[in-house]
Amino acid sequence: MTVMRDQVVKSLVQVEVKANEDGLMPGFNVLVNQLPTSFWNTVAERFMAIAPPDRKADMEKALVNCAYECGYHTGYGIVSSPEFQSVVMPMVTEGAKDVLRGAFAVFTAWGWAKSGVVQVRDGERMVIRAVDYYEADSGGSGLRAYMVRGVSAAFMELAYAEPYPNGMNTFSCEQTLGREVGDPHGEFVITKK
Amino acid sequence: MNLELSHTFDEASFRHFVNGHNVVLHCHHYMSLTTRLSEDFADLGGPRVLREATEDSIRPVLDSYFAEHKVTSPADRLDLGRQYFSAMGLGRMEVSGSATEGQVTLRHSHVDEGWVQKWGAHDKPVNHVGCGFVAAMFAAAFDRPARSFQVTESASIVMGAPASVLAVRQA
Repeated sequence: MTVMRDQVVKSLVQVEVKANEDGLMPGFNVLVNQLPTSFWNTVAERFMAIAPPDRKADMEKALVNCAYECGYHTGYGIVSSPEFQSVVMPMVTEGAKDVLRGAFAVFTAWGWAKSGVVQVRDGERMVIRAVDYYEADSGGSGLRAYMVRGVSAAFMELAYAEPYPNGMNTFSCEQTLGREVGDPHGEFVITKK
Repeated sequence: MNLELSHTFDEASFRHFVNGHNVVLHCHHYMSLTTRLSEDFADLGGPRVLREATEDSIRPVLDSYFAEHKVTSPADRLDLGRQYFSAMGLGRMEVSGSATEGQVTLRHSHVDEGWVQKWGAHDKPVNHVGCGFVAAMFAAAFDRPARSFQVTESASIVMGAPASVLAVRQA
């Protein structure tokens, strides 16, 4: 058996995310929020819009980094959570590759992107395909799935870099295709730095 | 009046919806870094952009709820906005106000407490998202256009105060 994404998604979607009496959602070693996707898209679109041409690259890098750090810390919280251990780990037969497949199933279940691993070269390279992701709805120009890029690099590090929390800045992710520019799906290539 | 939340999951796209609005789970790291990004680009108006982006993306959520449930009283609308703030995991607020001014007290704040967890206390307020939310809430409550209310933090959890206090003034 290997990790079956849709089965994982269906199990994890049942996990109810509700704020406590303080209006906070502690879980997976982080505080979670549940905001409209339009919020995150509007923020990214307007941040890019205010950046002058000579600072666009810095802004893009900063947007990717926001998701990257989030993906690294929250991703670790996810893969070490009781939910992941009970739902995903019983299906893991191929070590780190399957942990990655499981992490992307969670990525999908949380509403980040309907995505999956299409190719992994152990510790070297990974290709992710996303057939649907909310960032594709954002305004602006060019490839702009900053969140998917950041989180994808982070998940690769959780699987193949030094153990948490020492594995950061090992991989980077480039987006090669995007629904937001008319491609049939988004494609993300993660390679060693 | 209790806020009614209807959560649906689309099996084709695997997207989540609350009361018809596409929503997504993210964490305090993402929120804190996005807030700091706005500060890093303060010379380009980053904090203002973050506030306005929040106001403009929260407003449709509130407007559609009030329309669907036929909520017309400003007091009820403010109270439902308060409940929405908590339902989104942004914290716990107390709110009072009129069409010209108001006050919001945050006993808990995702933005502030997330920032403190990540980096510790800060020397100035950072809850631009909270201010944008409150601006949307007051404008929706009193049927005013966007940017009708100015919201400023006079006390802040991230600076060590026991609660954040947001002053609301008609713009």
